Amino acid sequence: MSVSLRYTGASLGYDAPVVSDVSLEVRPGEVLGLIGPNGAGKTTLVRAVSGGARLFSGAVTVGDRPVGDYSRIELARLVAVLPQTTPSTFAFTALQFVEMGRHAHVSRFGDLRAADHAAVGHAMELTGTMGLSGRRVDELSGGDLQRLTLAQALAQEPSVLLLDEPTSHLDLNHRLQVLDVVRTLADGGLAVLAVFHDLDMAARYSDRLAVVSDGGLPVQGTPAEVLTRETLHDLFGVAAVIGTDPVTGSVQVLPIMRSQVRERAVTRGRVLVISGSGSGAAMMRRLTLEGFEVSCGALSTLDTDGAVASALGLELREIEPFVAMTADDTTAVTAKAVSVDAVVILATPFGPDNLGNLRAIVGAGVADRTVLVGALTPELDFSRGEAAELWNSLVLTGARECADARDTVRVLEEVLGR
Amino acid sequence: MGRTGTRRAAFVLLLLAAVLVVACIAGAAFGAVPVSPADVTGAIGATIRGVELTPAQALVMDLRLPRVALAALVGACLASAGVLYQALFRNALADPYILGVSSGAGLGAALAFAAGGAGAAALLAPPLAAFVGALATILLVASLATRRGVMETLSLLLAGVAVSYTLAALTSFVLVVRREQMSRIVFWMMGGLQGATWAQVGMVGVMLLAGLAIPFLYARELNIMLLGDERAGELGVDVERVKRVILAAASLVVSAAVSVSGLIGFVGLMTPHAARLVLGPDHRLLLPASVLSGAIVMVLADLFARVVLAPVELPVGIVTALAGGPVFVWLLVRQQRGASL
Repeated sequence: MSVSLRYTGASLGYDAPVVSDVSLEVRPGEVLGLIGPNGAGKTTLVRAVSGGARLFSGAVTVGDRPVGDYSRIELARLVAVLPQTTPSTFAFTALQFVEMGRHAHVSRFGDLRAADHAAVGHAMELTGTMGLSGRRVDELSGGDLQRLTLAQALAQEPSVLLLDEPTSHLDLNHRLQVLDVVRTLADGGLAVLAVFHDLDMAARYSDRLAVVSDGGLPVQGTPAEVLTRETLHDLFGVAAVIGTDPVTGSVQVLPIMRSQVRERAVTRGRVLVISGSGSGAAMMRRLTLEGFEVSCGALSTLDTDGAVASALGLELREIEPFVAMTADDTTAVTAKAVSVDAVVILATPFGPDNLGNLRAIVGAGVADRTVLVGALTPELDFSRGEAAELWNSLVLTGARECADARDTVRVLEEVLGR
Repeated sequence: MGRTGTRRAAFVLLLLAAVLVVACIAGAAFGAVPVSPADVTGAIGATIRGVELTPAQALVMDLRLPRVALAALVGACLASAGVLYQALFRNALADPYILGVSSGAGLGAALAFAAGGAGAAALLAPPLAAFVGALATILLVASLATRRGVMETLSLLLAGVAVSYTLAALTSFVLVVRREQMSRIVFWMMGGLQGATWAQVGMVGVMLLAGLAIPFLYARELNIMLLGDERAGELGVDVERVKRVILAAASLVVSAAVSVSGLIGFVGLMTPHAARLVLGPDHRLLLPASVLSGAIVMVLADLFARVVLAPVELPVGIVTALAGGPVFVWLLVRQQRGASL
């Protein structure tokens, strides 16, 4: 049976509304992921259906009928819930535990029938819990118990499944197992509303995402539309790199730091970081956290350092990937180097495309304010020796050499103190 | 329950029933004047055939058997109420005596006794007043122990004790005011089954049947509610309705027991707990098994109370408290260590 779950201008909460005027539809065959900061009201949306949260205005309907019009038992035939955790301090067997999921289908005077046993068996098979049948629930691990709870929910043969951070207590293996089962069921026509607190999991398993924030649903769309740098900054207050999972192709979020850190009024000094291929990502983060105002040399958008710099909102000279820096690019970097308080150059693979950065620093004549981090070994030199020459000339004209980021911060303090 | 589970349940219940029959015959045979088990069965047979009874058989029929039957019914009432309260509060320490329900029923019954009366009114007024007292008490204790929808074990026990003391004080007040009824009421309150009549047996039997018919139909809900109210609701249980029905049923059977036998503690605590340890938490088996075990425990406790210092009789409440108090302490310690219900 295909049934949608729909929120229409719904205001929901407990003593007072937690979310106001939200509209959302979860259609059969899709997983809709709810993400958002803690306390924003994700669970409230779920509990508006499962019971516990109050509807102040608007409507919440399951299959075109308001949730409040259903009796508990009618609702349990359509909607199942997988909570975060289930208390398990009693000596029921795993089989008895899953059979409780059939309550809504069994008559008061009767016992489980063939159809009920079939549904229980199917649910346990899907969740891989057949082997646990005879085990006592209070002796199982959290992972096994959560899979059993999923089996219990599936034994209800629901049309709508609600998940409230269903895997936050599970290890990676069980997490994937539970969500894979849910995904398969959604592909088979189940409507799934899931609260996620892991954004990568949300992106990977959801067809659409909705962000719950500030008492509403400001953003809805596909994971790629929703999980943007702007959303993460505005709604989660986090600077993050948005990438693509190389295997599943889903959106991947790499949080770098809290946005607030970036918004400090006073800085300890302006620092230009020259790096590439990921050599400078950690340094940018470190210097930003330490309170420096960081800018970058020429970087392509495909470069790891370029992505991190963008996520952190750092100023950089953007260049085309795999194309040599132009004279204009070099001039721009030179100008920047002259204007900042210090320059940090990381040992980076240098080739025709980014050698201009080194030339620019040498040309700017700021060696006495330059810190070189690491050693430019021959393996990093793709410029037939020119990078090494430039590096050495900086050393000879007064650039300081450091081993790592911590060392760099100390040396920068000295340089800036001068 | 699977097929093996059903067979096991049937076996357990038959075994308990057989033990109960033996306990009842023993209870009727022993006493200040011992009679033989043959006299017991003979008395029943003769009564059924309408033949005149021998003196020994008359003793059995008029004094011993009503007392044994009443003991069995009272035990069944207390134990089944214990199971129901324990399921409802998800707490193995819940018992009509500890929750103060017995005291509430006691105050109701004491008021009815103090009012006096004769005939049917004297028989029916105490249990009815006890029912009102029991129901009001459990609602009060539960609401006192609940903060923001959560009922803590400690709060529940404290609320039970506090309410129980207050009610006991009120009962004493009734005694002082109605001095002429004092000895009768005090004797009843100490918990005893002296002077049991077939009329009382009939009344308690009817109340037990009426009180338990519905909980038996709710056994599956009681199982599911062990997962917590919210989860039970998600699985389709109308939790509030089940609670109302079960509280009313449990209070009805408690008041039946209290109105004829006074305050008898710990039977409602020990028996369900022992049954749960042996049989597991499934109320479809636990409830009938507790009814039978409660009956057995009470018949044996009453027998012990009659013969241990014969011809002096101990109030049976003393016997159950002596046996049950240590069990309660053991349970409390065990629960603090986070054991399963």
